[in-house]
Amino acid sequence: MSVNKFETVSSIVDNYQPNDELFEEILNDSHLSATWQRYHLMGDVMRGETSDVIDLDLSSQIAAAITDEPTILAPRTNNAFTSKLKAKVVQFAKPFGQMAIAASAAGLMVMGVQQNTAETDALLPASQVVKTMPFGGTAEPVSLNFQQTSRPSEKEAFVEQQRRFQALLSDHQQQIKLSSVVVNNTPKQDKAEESAK
Amino acid sequence: MKLISSLLLLVTLSTSIAANENESENEKAEPWLERLATSLQTLNFSTSFVVVKNNQAEPYHWFHGLDENGHELEILSLLNGPRRDVLRKQGIVSYIEPELPPYSVTSQQITGPIPAVFRGDITALGKNYDFVSVGRSRVLGRPAQLIRIVSKDPHRYGHWLWLDQKTGMLLKLALVTRSGQLLEQIQFTHLDITADISESLQQLQQTTLPKVIEIPDGYQEQVLQWQVKWLPDGFVQLNANRHRISSTKQPVEFMLFNDGLVDVSVYVNPSEDNQRATDYVMDGATLVLNQVVKGFEVSVVGKIPAITAKAIADSVVLLPNSTP
Repeated sequence: MSVNKFETVSSIVDNYQPNDELFEEILNDSHLSATWQRYHLMGDVMRGETSDVIDLDLSSQIAAAITDEPTILAPRTNNAFTSKLKAKVVQFAKPFGQMAIAASAAGLMVMGVQQNTAETDALLPASQVVKTMPFGGTAEPVSLNFQQTSRPSEKEAFVEQQRRFQALLSDHQQQIKLSSVVVNNTPKQDKAEESAK
Repeated sequence: MKLISSLLLLVTLSTSIAANENESENEKAEPWLERLATSLQTLNFSTSFVVVKNNQAEPYHWFHGLDENGHELEILSLLNGPRRDVLRKQGIVSYIEPELPPYSVTSQQITGPIPAVFRGDITALGKNYDFVSVGRSRVLGRPAQLIRIVSKDPHRYGHWLWLDQKTGMLLKLALVTRSGQLLEQIQFTHLDITADISESLQQLQQTTLPKVIEIPDGYQEQVLQWQVKWLPDGFVQLNANRHRISSTKQPVEFMLFNDGLVDVSVYVNPSEDNQRATDYVMDGATLVLNQVVKGFEVSVVGKIPAITAKAIADSVVLLPNSTP
């Protein structure tokens, strides 16, 4: 039946003269009238009579979809009591919110300051990879007794210490290379000699 | 009745198997490490890895192979910054570094980021470390077996190795504290195992290595004025000498100790300061600790925890019959 109706719409679009009853039916049926509109559009496109921009009117559909959408959030109530309560809650919550914002801003500032000092630290020893850590400054569970190194003014001492550490590190690596001579000569050299023979 | 008895048998069987598995956990890990040693000695491989420490990465190329006579050829190159290459053929290892003119030493192994013991006798570590086979994971796109080398005492770090299930090759290595904090890791980024040796190694065959430096007899077994009284079990002295630190020209008494896996250096020298508080830095897992007590500076360097290094430094004493 419905297929028939679509056929009718199609033939009307193609200039077939239907009787008035059919016409009425198409006009009253929104679905069929939409089809009528669509068929005309198709014809226009095929004949190349459309403008460059096809105005598919989506706005009415979107608007309709929004009104039809079920409300998932809390149901709308016009109760005076709840709106009063809400106002109170808002009043109460606001100062806290402001404080939270202030606190986070302060946090940002602290972070920014730390960032800055970290950057200047990194600039101090230009070629150094390593960074000093005072022995007592870490969370090592030790009962060792020693003072924490805190000599903020002694930049020179710091640089000197960095240089010392770097020198020790490279000397350590150098000595390992030279000492491996001793380590492995005994058993493995024999093996190598045997295989050479 | 028959069904019940067979079920019972099954249960007892499976529990006994489970018990056996627990017991053999340590023994299961050792063959993996032996296989790694064999692979590192016998395979023709060309590989790349990255050492990750202090939020920075050092990329390396590593080639290894056997020539037609079965002699090992090996090249290790740092790819960033000034050239640092290590070459090895026929019992000679050459170091090409920016600090020094190229030199060679007689040795069977190169000194690099990967501990040399992995290509040697791993069972020797059994006295101080446990080997634990942990499980499987995917590394470098391959199925890998995780083996942990865990220190028996709290004075050392653990080494975690991810080994290729197919070839036994190392795919990843991590240095980890006892609490599980990662200090340094080596991630392989590429691994090629070939039938023939690579072009670089063929070139190495043609290359004449720099002159072998002669180390005078007894130079590395000198009797020093200072002595280390405490070290974790298993550390043996490899070297004791007096030399000048090349960059600062500071004369030092030097001792090098090794437990099979890690090296620890101890330096003693007179200082301009009378007293300086203990201070240390970490380069990845390598610790450099330094303190001055009564005009003498003691420094400890190695891949050991700070508490261990502090204890070693504090144990350094002047021999009774010598004058500083």
